[in-house]
Amino acid sequence: MSEVGTLAIGMAFLVSLYGVAAPLLGTGLRRPELVRSGRNAVYANALLLGAASAALTYALLTRDFGNAYVASYSSRDLSFWYTLSSFWAGQAGSLLFWAVMLAGFSALVVWRHGGLRDLQPYVIAVLMGTSAFFTMLLTFVSSPFQRLPFPPADGSGLNPLLQNPGMFFHPPTQYLGYVGFTIPFAFALAALAARRLDDEWIRATRRWTLLSWFFLSWGLIFGMMWAYVELGWGGYWAWDPVENAALMPWLTATAFLHSVMIQEKRDMLKVWNIVLVVLTFSLSIFGTFLTRSGVLSSVHSFALSSMGPLFFVFILLILGVSTILLITRLPALRSAAELDSLVSRESSFLFNNLILVGAAFSVFLGTVFPIISEAVRGVKISVGPPFFNQVNVPIGLALLFLMGVCPLLAWRKASIRNLTRGFLIPGAFGALSALILLAVGMSHPVALAAFALCVFVTAAIAQDFHRAAMVRRSHGESYGRAAVMLVARNHRRYGGAVVHLGMILLFAGMAGGAFATEKEAILQKGETVSINQYTLRYEGASTYPTQSAVVTAATLTLFNDTHRIGVMTPQRNIHKTHEEQPMTEVAIRSGLREDLYVILAGLGDDGTANFRVIVNPLMMWMWIGSVVLTLGTMIAFWPERGEALRNRARYVVETP
Amino acid sequence: MRAALLLTAVLGLLLAAVPERAHGADRGLAGEFMCQCGCALTLSSCTHLSCGPRDQALAEIARLEGQGQDRGQIRAAFIRQYGEGVLAAPLRQGFNLLAYWGPYWVIAAGGLMIVLLAAAWSRRPRPQGDDAVEPALTDEQRAMLERALRNLKD
Repeated sequence: MSEVGTLAIGMAFLVSLYGVAAPLLGTGLRRPELVRSGRNAVYANALLLGAASAALTYALLTRDFGNAYVASYSSRDLSFWYTLSSFWAGQAGSLLFWAVMLAGFSALVVWRHGGLRDLQPYVIAVLMGTSAFFTMLLTFVSSPFQRLPFPPADGSGLNPLLQNPGMFFHPPTQYLGYVGFTIPFAFALAALAARRLDDEWIRATRRWTLLSWFFLSWGLIFGMMWAYVELGWGGYWAWDPVENAALMPWLTATAFLHSVMIQEKRDMLKVWNIVLVVLTFSLSIFGTFLTRSGVLSSVHSFALSSMGPLFFVFILLILGVSTILLITRLPALRSAAELDSLVSRESSFLFNNLILVGAAFSVFLGTVFPIISEAVRGVKISVGPPFFNQVNVPIGLALLFLMGVCPLLAWRKASIRNLTRGFLIPGAFGALSALILLAVGMSHPVALAAFALCVFVTAAIAQDFHRAAMVRRSHGESYGRAAVMLVARNHRRYGGAVVHLGMILLFAGMAGGAFATEKEAILQKGETVSINQYTLRYEGASTYPTQSAVVTAATLTLFNDTHRIGVMTPQRNIHKTHEEQPMTEVAIRSGLREDLYVILAGLGDDGTANFRVIVNPLMMWMWIGSVVLTLGTMIAFWPERGEALRNRARYVVETP
Repeated sequence: MRAALLLTAVLGLLLAAVPERAHGADRGLAGEFMCQCGCALTLSSCTHLSCGPRDQALAEIARLEGQGQDRGQIRAAFIRQYGEGVLAAPLRQGFNLLAYWGPYWVIAAGGLMIVLLAAAWSRRPRPQGDDAVEPALTDEQRAMLERALRNLKD
């Protein structure tokens, strides 16, 4: 099977190169059969990489330890699902995963958007160019099909850190997000190359953009879940360089999702939208560069390799080509419309974009600042969570504020009446909540501001929805039906509002972190430790073997004041294949109000056990917010009944 | 202009107001120093179960606190011992201010640009009737569209 995989990847590389050349030549020489051939190359590439992926999956499932990749990342005791996840546990596999996702998306794009004749040759060339880069790495630098001269009896196994459901889903969703942004990037470059600078490319990629953003969001969320339950330090975000690298394209992609509406509605921000797409795609590649290059120390150091420079060259190529195309097309990108007023929805979207891109820049600067400092001052410094929290929390609060403000302002120019009518009730709710929180003794300024803003934004969304529903009601519909029809008739707007509600819950969960409490205790059997209203009594520890590890579990009886409410069993596991790397398995008792998080930090020879106990308020709301965000994205993604008609109407209007 | 200045001022004030330990996971001095084991995390979040450098640093903090040293003195002692790299947030001085204030300068510059552009555009005289959206449909097309929209109604 390895031979099949190697051959398939090699052929995919050649087919990708052909897929770059054929459509470009076809356009240049006016030979449509070459463009058609380029389209077929996209399908062939998907088939070849699909075959290579099937070969690797087969090798993993049949425990073919003669394959170096299989021997390095799986073992006989690994469960079916973790054996599958070994596919993307190492560098070569994750590159193949990226390449096959890209090939699948490309085939779908070519099949779905076959009608965009002007753009298609360039779209194919960009997609196949990206595919050529990844298949080149797979062919010449890191192949998942290398054979070992002497196959071992068992593999080295999967890194225990990766044996977690969060890590099963985190890399694929993250990659799907990254790969997905190749599509709007390809369309943006195609629009520039073909000089089709209207909003056709934006309409064609709207769903791709939303889907990619959704996957990028869930990549981050799964990563947070994994860090929270697996890393065992009580938090979910360490501002690690690789985490930051995933956050940056999410921020610019979020900015793009907003600014694209201005181009569609007002024919403005054409250059800015292209810049955002290029930035998002470049930052996606930059994320992979950071993970693989090792230029910064990271908790993701298990993914280090020597291919960092190649990614760096690829980023330079992306930026170079995009910049040249953008500069040469600047005159044609001039917008017909202009800002009518600083107090308008358009300008509030611009400020929203500014804050989002500012946040991305802030994360970027903080991430690379150790390198800059060493180069300029010759002094090694670290940039960790305290720095990022200080710099980014105000930016996050400003973003939260704008999330509430944007929908309240009218398009073109907001009048005093519009402002009063829009801000009075949400503003009053926000101020009242701040007063109540102050009255009950909340003195943390950031948390206070965050909670008050959450209330303000929620009130703004509720008010907007209520007013629209009341308009429908005045036409004879019941309130319930009006509310349902409102969402049914404008998926994008109200899907966006639901996404904002999800973000509010995420913000509230993050703000709750300001009130986390922590205690460390070394306990003898029968001794207790108390934190807030909880008391934990240590009952003893037991050690037992499982299929893949030796587990040491401590048993703690949990009391809420004096009531016994359960038992918690934090663990310490030593995996057979990674004995040098003992793992914590934290015990978490989750509730809507707070999480009780217990870590077994160590066991003493004298029978004592060392525990870290943390109470994390409002953590559950972050995960609930993630579900709400998913729901909102699904609503926004769902096609509207009138959409096809509007597109037809636009066609009628635009056709001379 | 005023809006941009206001936005920057608010962000600046918030920056000043944000405590260094804004995140619950970084508690106390253990959250202010990087672990020297190479995990790239702070002492409070080092993920290793048994970590010599972390335990040594935590013991050092406890010892200095026991001697009555305050936060600043402990920080200075750690910088002397391990270098500036031990701090999880760079010192707020000299070149490091670029990292602290750079993003705000960029946001302020962007805000200023938006304000100036908006001011320039809104002062520019507009052709007659520009306020209304360009009537792009002919009567026939409008009638066709209205018929189709009526058909869509439930």
